[in-house]
Amino acid sequence: MVKAVVGEESQLQLVEDRLSQSSAPAQVGLVIGKLSSGLDRGFVYDLVPTPQNDAGQSACSVLEPAKDNRKKGSNSKPKSQSSDSSSSLVIDKEWVAEHARQVSRMMVGGINVVGIYVWASEATFKNSTMVLCQTVKGVAEAASLLEDDLDERLLIHICYSPRRWTCRNCTLSSNITSSSLRPCDFKMGRVLTSLQTFKCFYNFDLRLPIYQEKASKSETLVDVLHNGISNYVKELRGAKAMIDGNLVVNDEICTTDGLHEIELLLPFMKDMYIEACSQKDVVGIVNLTGSVCSFSFLNSKETISQAVADIKDDIIRSLLSRLDIICDEADEDAGTNDDVIKETRNDSLSEKPVSQLVLHSLRKNCNLSLPRRVFVPWLAGTFISDHLQPSETLEVLKDHCVELMSMEAPNDASKILEPEEESLRVTARSFWDAVLPYCSTSSPSNEKSREITSKETSQKTIKPSNVNFIAAIIILLLSVLVGFIFVRKS
Amino acid sequence: MEKNNRSIRIECPKLLITRNESDLQWLIGSPFFPPLTIISTFRCIHSGSSSPDFLKESEEIRTLLLKGLDVIGALIVGKSDPQKTAVTAVEAARNLRKVLSGKTNLENEEIIGAVADPDTGDIRFFVSENERSANLDLVNSVSYDANPEKFLWESGCLLLCQLPVKLPVCFPVNKPSDVEGIFSRAIEAVIAKLKDPNVVYMVEASNKASLDVVQPVILRGADLDFDTTAPNIEPLDEAAHSSEQKLLPCGHFCLKSKSTPHLFSAKNADILQVSVLLNRSEKSPKRSAPAVEYFPAMEETRLLIVDFKLEVLCYAVQGIPLMHAISKLIIPGLIDQLISMKQTTLPNLLTQHPELHPYHFCPPGIAHPVTVIYELSYGETEMKQVDARRSLHMRLGLPFDRPLLRIANSLDFSIKGRSSTSSTRKGSSLLKDVHVGIPSSGVSGGIVSLVQGSYEYYHYLQDGFDDSGWGCAYRSLQTIISWFRLQHYSSVDVPSHREIQQSLVDIGDKDPAFIGSREWIGAIELSFVLDKLLGVSCKVINVRSGSELPEKCRELAFHFETQGTPIMIGGGVLAYTLLGVDYNEATGECAYLILDPHYTGSDDVKKIVNGGWCGWKKSVDSKGKSFFLQDKFYNLLLPQRPNMV
Repeated sequence: MVKAVVGEESQLQLVEDRLSQSSAPAQVGLVIGKLSSGLDRGFVYDLVPTPQNDAGQSACSVLEPAKDNRKKGSNSKPKSQSSDSSSSLVIDKEWVAEHARQVSRMMVGGINVVGIYVWASEATFKNSTMVLCQTVKGVAEAASLLEDDLDERLLIHICYSPRRWTCRNCTLSSNITSSSLRPCDFKMGRVLTSLQTFKCFYNFDLRLPIYQEKASKSETLVDVLHNGISNYVKELRGAKAMIDGNLVVNDEICTTDGLHEIELLLPFMKDMYIEACSQKDVVGIVNLTGSVCSFSFLNSKETISQAVADIKDDIIRSLLSRLDIICDEADEDAGTNDDVIKETRNDSLSEKPVSQLVLHSLRKNCNLSLPRRVFVPWLAGTFISDHLQPSETLEVLKDHCVELMSMEAPNDASKILEPEEESLRVTARSFWDAVLPYCSTSSPSNEKSREITSKETSQKTIKPSNVNFIAAIIILLLSVLVGFIFVRKS
Repeated sequence: MEKNNRSIRIECPKLLITRNESDLQWLIGSPFFPPLTIISTFRCIHSGSSSPDFLKESEEIRTLLLKGLDVIGALIVGKSDPQKTAVTAVEAARNLRKVLSGKTNLENEEIIGAVADPDTGDIRFFVSENERSANLDLVNSVSYDANPEKFLWESGCLLLCQLPVKLPVCFPVNKPSDVEGIFSRAIEAVIAKLKDPNVVYMVEASNKASLDVVQPVILRGADLDFDTTAPNIEPLDEAAHSSEQKLLPCGHFCLKSKSTPHLFSAKNADILQVSVLLNRSEKSPKRSAPAVEYFPAMEETRLLIVDFKLEVLCYAVQGIPLMHAISKLIIPGLIDQLISMKQTTLPNLLTQHPELHPYHFCPPGIAHPVTVIYELSYGETEMKQVDARRSLHMRLGLPFDRPLLRIANSLDFSIKGRSSTSSTRKGSSLLKDVHVGIPSSGVSGGIVSLVQGSYEYYHYLQDGFDDSGWGCAYRSLQTIISWFRLQHYSSVDVPSHREIQQSLVDIGDKDPAFIGSREWIGAIELSFVLDKLLGVSCKVINVRSGSELPEKCRELAFHFETQGTPIMIGGGVLAYTLLGVDYNEATGECAYLILDPHYTGSDDVKKIVNGGWCGWKKSVDSKGKSFFLQDKFYNLLLPQRPNMV
């Protein structure tokens, strides 16, 4: 139960300034921070306003009492900010939840969507607790924290007159009552600057057999992956960890500054196949390989095992986010191609996106690159991340930052971390190779990809630095040579 | 010159020599000991017409022998020319070493060839320095150590690695013959992976006390040295203490204070627990974002998951660096065990699913543990398992009337199992071996012969059951049955009074009305129940008067020496359990170690011993009072050890 919450003063001051300058009668948005069940405390790093929805309407508006009988949701301008005591808020709950879903994909370990904030008058807030609780609940469902999911979220109210911050703890019970909201201690302080940074690469080699069972007959590739990853969570949770080469044994507080590298150790031979059976017929095998790069940020009072738990969480969440992105894209495609003739037998492969293929009926190799993860500098040395599809460029990332996180577009591309290379898909292996334990998955270097992959984009990212480096060496050599000649001449 | 200084050290509790002509025994030593140190012998049990069946022998010995121990020679019982016999022994030992190690070139290894005279039991030791030179040197200096346990365990420790392996094997349904090849390839892949740079070995103390003090140590596969041609592992210099993790010695995890000599045994040895982990965050030059591939099976395919529970125990001395203990002991041990299990599984891979499980034993007379793989899908008493145990008894020179290699005898490595010693039964714990540590009998110059093994003390009023005045023989029987249980002859629960009565009714000795009654039973009834419940037969000694009992002392002493079971004393009056005798053959003076079931107090050893409920009784005590009454007859029931293993 979170009893006390600390807000990052530097950031929240900016938010307050922004809000007081805005003319909007009310605003709703997401609280980015961390809830620590171990410490019974919450940390708030930033507040992010929910953007206008697709129809151009803001997510929150004030509904005046019946005398002014306008339709709800219409972006009406009230006469004065000090509206009368019976006004209440109208919130587009689905839209706020959608915002939370998108933002949570950009979060990294130890930084989460932990609730909502609302900018409204005291009276309006009081009249709207129900809708606010429902919104909190919607946000919690859309951006669920995996690790020991606390059944509570924050509801921060910034009251405009008198100017005051209050924080309430909202219990996510099935039915929301007035007792769901409990006040908790809120104060400003410095939390971002003392965060510890942890980084981890996790190399997956997950094999998921597709069984010849009726139950799995209609499973798509994405279904299989989703199940596989969800089952894998337990394995990963049990993994031992090393921080900077030292095994995490005692739960201590991290005292050294700087970037800490986490390495995750899994039991030998246990993490490849997640399901055990005696003998079952299989029709194929799905092999998930590749690296996930993860960051997590730890408050100075939290123990290192929390950092490890956050990293593990982030790894799974990043992988699931990528699947979601693939699915979203497939949905969009399906939406735009509504009028296209339904799959004919021969063309079904080319019509359907790979992720939606039903593996049972698929009789040829196929592969699917998941989006790669990039990291953008956020507040005070922290990062947030985004997942980019092979076809997407860093421009997409900038759009996301501006739109979803209401931050300035990162202009300096060199500050963006791109630790994951785009995956090269080379299918030189057969089923019989793929089922062997620990068969090498490193893609043969010079082999041409038979698939339609965008190899170029992946190389683009590394090329400039290489060129620069080579050029620098050539210049260096030249100058040495010239210098040498001069010395000889004199 | 050096040859003259050579000496053989024998560090076995007993060097068992059979009297059978041309018997061959392998001599076991360790690369960690001074050369020519024999710590035990394994009998060769697979012989062809003229020479041992090396393949079979090596397979069994590879499993049995911990890594860190090896065959250093052979002994042949024979009367013919000792020199020639010794040559045969050396040749056999060399052959076995070659098969065991898989190396063909073992030129410069000293091998012992020993020859025992079947009549006198004298042993002559010869040493061969080199495979090419045929001449043997006779070694005259032979020293026997009285305390081999100390030699092995003062500086030794055990490494234990438990590794469950779930091996997926896919095979085409219409070509099931392919499965063997695929299975073998999968095994090879796992073996290769054990040496992978990304595999991480975690070493931790399994001892509760050290667990809190010593942090686990991580050894990366990349740091390990798998060079098989490298010379034997050398202990670290005491002086060159390094803080570097990979150069830490095994002793890092061992308890420093081991002053009490009785703690020197495999059971009390420091155990280092090794876990095999895979680093999933390994460094690699290229990190690609995750990608998914789907491989459809082009033919009907079945997936089989083969489950292996590897458990490898190794012996090392504390000076050995951990990294060598891992690369030279643990990993080869895991590989050997995996291959051995593969060979057992392979012939019937698709039809049978053997549940193979390694167990480690420390049978009496052998100072080091041995490893045995049992097939758990058979019951322990099934013929196949009994035969397997018999041949192991044979190999290790163990008696055939004691179950020493049952699963219940195996070493328990769980931390909990090592810390608690009390037995629990239905939630309450019974006192065990209450006679240990009681004052001596006072018989001067007597020889003490005692019950062998543990028993539980059953007495009046236990379990809230009021049997005061009639239940003493029942309690004595319960104590005897507990002995058979604890010695692993039987897993039958110790019967209640009612169950005892029921079985007497069942065999027709008593009427049904007997059940629930408070009737006494005697030695004869006890023998019926022991036969019915355990299949144990008994000898009965009758004496007409208590004064005749001292005459039976020699026979009783012999019983404790050979059978070692608790004796029930019944007859005219009270029933007792006899746990031992102290007998001076010359003077005839004797005392009896009596465990009295009439005790009605709480289970408190002090009270029991001080009250004389367990103690030495002389026939006639200092006050002239006889313990066994002159005018009463006595029946002594001597349960016989069953001939079983």
